[in-house]
Amino acid sequence: METSSKEEYKIQSFDLETQKLLKTALKDPGSVDLEKVSNIIVDQSLKDQIFSREAGRICYTIVQAEAKQTNGNVFRRNLLNRLQQEFKAREETRQRSTEEWVCLVSFICNIFDYLKVNNMPMVALVHPVYDCLFRLAQSDALKNEEEVDCLVLQLHRIGDQLEKMNLQLMDKLFNLLRDGFLLQEDLSSMGRLLLLEILEFRAGGWTLSETAQKYYYSEVTD
Amino acid sequence: MSAHQKHRYENDCKPDENRNKGASRWSHCRKRGADGSLRKSHEVEEPGKCSQSSRRPESFTTPESEGPVSRVKNWGDEVEAEEMRSNVRRDMHRYRRRILEADFPQRDRKISSGSSDSRDSRDSKESPAKGDIETDETTLVRRQKQINYGKNTLAYDRYIKEVPKHMREPGVHPKTPNKFKKYSRRSWDQQIKLWRVKLHAWDPPAEEGSNLQQIEEIDLGEIMDFELDVECSADTESQCPASSGASLSLAEDTFTGTPKKMMKIEDTEMS
Repeated sequence: METSSKEEYKIQSFDLETQKLLKTALKDPGSVDLEKVSNIIVDQSLKDQIFSREAGRICYTIVQAEAKQTNGNVFRRNLLNRLQQEFKAREETRQRSTEEWVCLVSFICNIFDYLKVNNMPMVALVHPVYDCLFRLAQSDALKNEEEVDCLVLQLHRIGDQLEKMNLQLMDKLFNLLRDGFLLQEDLSSMGRLLLLEILEFRAGGWTLSETAQKYYYSEVTD
Repeated sequence: MSAHQKHRYENDCKPDENRNKGASRWSHCRKRGADGSLRKSHEVEEPGKCSQSSRRPESFTTPESEGPVSRVKNWGDEVEAEEMRSNVRRDMHRYRRRILEADFPQRDRKISSGSSDSRDSRDSKESPAKGDIETDETTLVRRQKQINYGKNTLAYDRYIKEVPKHMREPGVHPKTPNKFKKYSRRSWDQQIKLWRVKLHAWDPPAEEGSNLQQIEEIDLGEIMDFELDVECSADTESQCPASSGASLSLAEDTFTGTPKKMMKIEDTEMS
C-alpha cells in the first residue's frame, strides 16, 4: 500500500513528512491546507523532471476527492492560478534554467492531460499549452536537445487532444517543425531524429506505422 | 508566434498608476501600446513590473482603468466558468431525454404520467422539448448559480437527509425550481426566493429563535420587505463551511457587471 501509492503518484522524491501530507490530502482533503498542498506540488514539479511529467495524476485525484468531500475546488483553483503565474514568468524561467523551463512545460501539459472538466480538456489551458510548444519550436530552442525532447514528449502525449481543440494552431506548429527540420543548420542529429519522428507520428494520425516504429525504436542490430 | 498571441487570460497585472505608459492589465493582449507603437510579441517584463504595482483587489475599477474584472479572468475562474457551462449543457441533454421518454409512453400507451414535465410536451408531436425549454446558456448558468446558492446551505443538507424524494409532498416540501422551464426573469427570481424561504425551516437549531421570527415576518407576503429582511438573516447561511468559499467566488463571478455594492445585497438575498 505504501509503495504502491508512492509509485502511482511518483512522490518518492518528497520528504516523508510531505509524503504524509499528500496522502492525507488524497484521502481527507478537507482536513489539510489545500493551498499549501498545491504550492508544494507546483514547486516540486519545477524541480523534479520525473514528477513534472506525472504530477497530473495526483492533482486530479485530489481535485476529485475535494469535490466529493466538500463540494469545493480550492485545490484546483489555487493550482491553476499558481500555474498561471509560472506560465507568465516562463521566459524568465527559460533564461534562468532550461531544466526548470522544461519541467514547467511538462507540468502544464500533464495538467492539461489529467485535469479534465466533465471529461473535456480545459479550454483555458489550450492557448497556454500551444504557447509553450511554439516557444519550443523557435530556432533558439530547437538547437537544444533538451528542449526538442520536451517538445516531442508533449506532442506524443497530448498532441491529438490539442489538435482536436485547435487544428489551425497545430498546423502552424508543424509548419515550424518542418521548417526547423529542413532549414536549421545547428540542430543536433538527435534533434533531427526527434523531429522527423514526430512529423511522421502526426502524419500517421498520432501513431507510428509499424515500420516507423521499428525504425525509431528497435535495437540496432549489426 | 503572432496569431494566437491574443491572451485574454494573461491578466495578472494589477492596474498601474500610469495608464498610458508601461504595462497595464491589457498590455500583453494589445498589438500596440497606448502611445501607438507596436509591441513586440515576447514582452515578459510584466511580471517584474506587476509585482511592484498597487495591491488593489482585482475587482477595483475606475473610469480610467481597463474595465470590469469579470471580463479578465484568472485560470481558476475561467475553468470554473467552463465547468458551469458544461454542467448546464449536460443537464440540458439529460433533461431533453427525460422529456422525450416521458412523452413516448403517453402516445403509445395512453397512460398519463403524473409528472408535470410531460404536461409541457403534450401538445406538439415531434421534439416538443425544443420549443418549450429554456436553452439560453447565459440564463441557464445564472439560474444554476442561484440554485447552487440554495443548495450550498446547511438547511438544504439537512432537508435532503430528512426527507427523501419519494416522501416529498408538493406544497409542503420545498422543490428546487426547474431551470429548464420557460419563465420570465421576475417569475424565476420569485420562485427562487420562495424556495429559499421554505428551506429556512430546516436551518440548524443553533439560532436562538431569531429564525422563526424572520420567517413569520416574511410569510406576511410582503415581498418588498422580504428583500430588506433577508439582509439580516443572511448570516445563518454564511456559517456553512462549504458555502462560504463557493458562494463568494460565485458572487464575484457574476457576469452581469453589477457594481460591488449592489452585488452584496444580491448576495445576501441569495444566501
